[in-house]
Amino acid sequence: MMAVAEARKRRGPSFVVRAAVACVLTVAAAGAVASAQSPKPLPSAADILRTMFAAPALVDYEGTKVISTVQGTRAETVTILEAYKRLGRLRLEFLSPESVSGRLIVDDGLSAWQYEPSLHLVIRGPSFVQGTAHPERATEVLRRYRVSVLGREAVIGRDTVVVALAPGEAGSNRRLWIDEATGVALRTEERDAGGEIVYVSYFSRVSYSLNLPPALFRFRQPAGAKMLNFYVSGDAVTSVNELQARAGKDIILPARLLNRFAFRDGRVARHGAFTAAAAAYTDGVGVVTVFQTPISRMAFPNVGGPVATRTGRARFLDVGYFRVLVWQSRGMNYAVLGNMPQAVLIAIADELAASR
Amino acid sequence: MIHARIVRQLSAYLDGELDPSVSRAVAAHLAECDACRHELAMLRQVKGLLERLPEVEPPQAVWHGLRARLAAEDRATVTILDTMRAAFRRPAVAAVAAMVVLLLVALPLVKGRIDRLQAADIGVDLYVREHALQSVVDPFVDRAYLGLLIGDANLALAGARRTPGEEP
Repeated sequence: MMAVAEARKRRGPSFVVRAAVACVLTVAAAGAVASAQSPKPLPSAADILRTMFAAPALVDYEGTKVISTVQGTRAETVTILEAYKRLGRLRLEFLSPESVSGRLIVDDGLSAWQYEPSLHLVIRGPSFVQGTAHPERATEVLRRYRVSVLGREAVIGRDTVVVALAPGEAGSNRRLWIDEATGVALRTEERDAGGEIVYVSYFSRVSYSLNLPPALFRFRQPAGAKMLNFYVSGDAVTSVNELQARAGKDIILPARLLNRFAFRDGRVARHGAFTAAAAAYTDGVGVVTVFQTPISRMAFPNVGGPVATRTGRARFLDVGYFRVLVWQSRGMNYAVLGNMPQAVLIAIADELAASR
Repeated sequence: MIHARIVRQLSAYLDGELDPSVSRAVAAHLAECDACRHELAMLRQVKGLLERLPEVEPPQAVWHGLRARLAAEDRATVTILDTMRAAFRRPAVAAVAAMVVLLLVALPLVKGRIDRLQAADIGVDLYVREHALQSVVDPFVDRAYLGLLIGDANLALAGARRTPGEEP
């Protein structure tokens, strides 16, 4: 008996045991392959938008961003070092092109400082960074836009969910590559009505969860630099009647535009001797601003190119993400700005002219 | 108070210079006030004395002095006016004066026109800046792009517009 046991020990496990182990390993390997091949389910549009809108309160990052805008026959690409720290602190260092190289913008959430090294000039103004999270706005976006999740793509080595936003009655065709883990948009594209890309913004490099020093978001004025304060906006009022009382009876202030954008607030914007009544309207997502200045105080601005409207003399300017339509009518200069297509801005101009 | 006012009007009452209504009021007061009646009697007495004084012609020397002073004042006025007239007859002075008047009238008009043209030059930059600041609430807006737009508008408002770098 002892001799048999010794012989078995020398031969190792029996055939049956070895077969069983092989079967288990085979099944496990097959399972692993199967799970690797079956795609992870895509998040819903609402979920990925909520992740994106919550990101400003949750994620710090630092990266290199490239922005390309097409304005008619002209294109410009700008490269920026962008650093963001919760809640609402931003640092932008402009690298190229040469005309903007060296510009530094530091926003501490209350004020923004802009330093132009070529002029040794500092311009201080209000903050333009929204640092709070608004995941609930996803509902509003879904109501206003046709949102669809197109799939997953890797952008600079990170998994992103590709989301397409098509305008309902007004808006722009936009495509976003949203980092699935952090909610940060790593790439944004905007197309005109003909499908041509007019605006692209993407990170060529990004790092998250860095302990960025707070000093990076504090501005130190260079010695001897000239300082200008540009807090041009007057105090905002939230009623149409109050704005009319401040800006004069000649201005047109409907409560709604295109039965979609509701009056949000207004102010009398000033810069030196120049003043303009500014009324902001919103559909819950985008913003449209209408400016009105008497022609006795402002000649017709010769910007952009001429366009045909029912209001008469008008010009259209595309500044990339925003579009501007200016026109004159009955002693008043009008301008409407928004990120919606030209046709929508013209429809707003026609509606304002009709309500006069 | 009424008494004091009546006392001040007694002289005019005596000379018949008061309005009829005031004169009646003074007469009514005099009927009741012994002090005023006494004051009126005194005034009447003084007036009577003055009327009895003889009329005297002023000496010729007084008239000469007076005429000389009046003539000197007239000459001074004429000299200033003559100097101004003479000055304006010189073309250079007249031209400068006309220029000053023209400037005073035209300056507000010219300034208004310059402000109007300047507003047209920077107006759209102010619009873009204001709209960019309003668009902070847009959940899809790119912070870096807002920084670029606001920065460019700031420069234009400061009088140093950036020319975007063109690409072929």
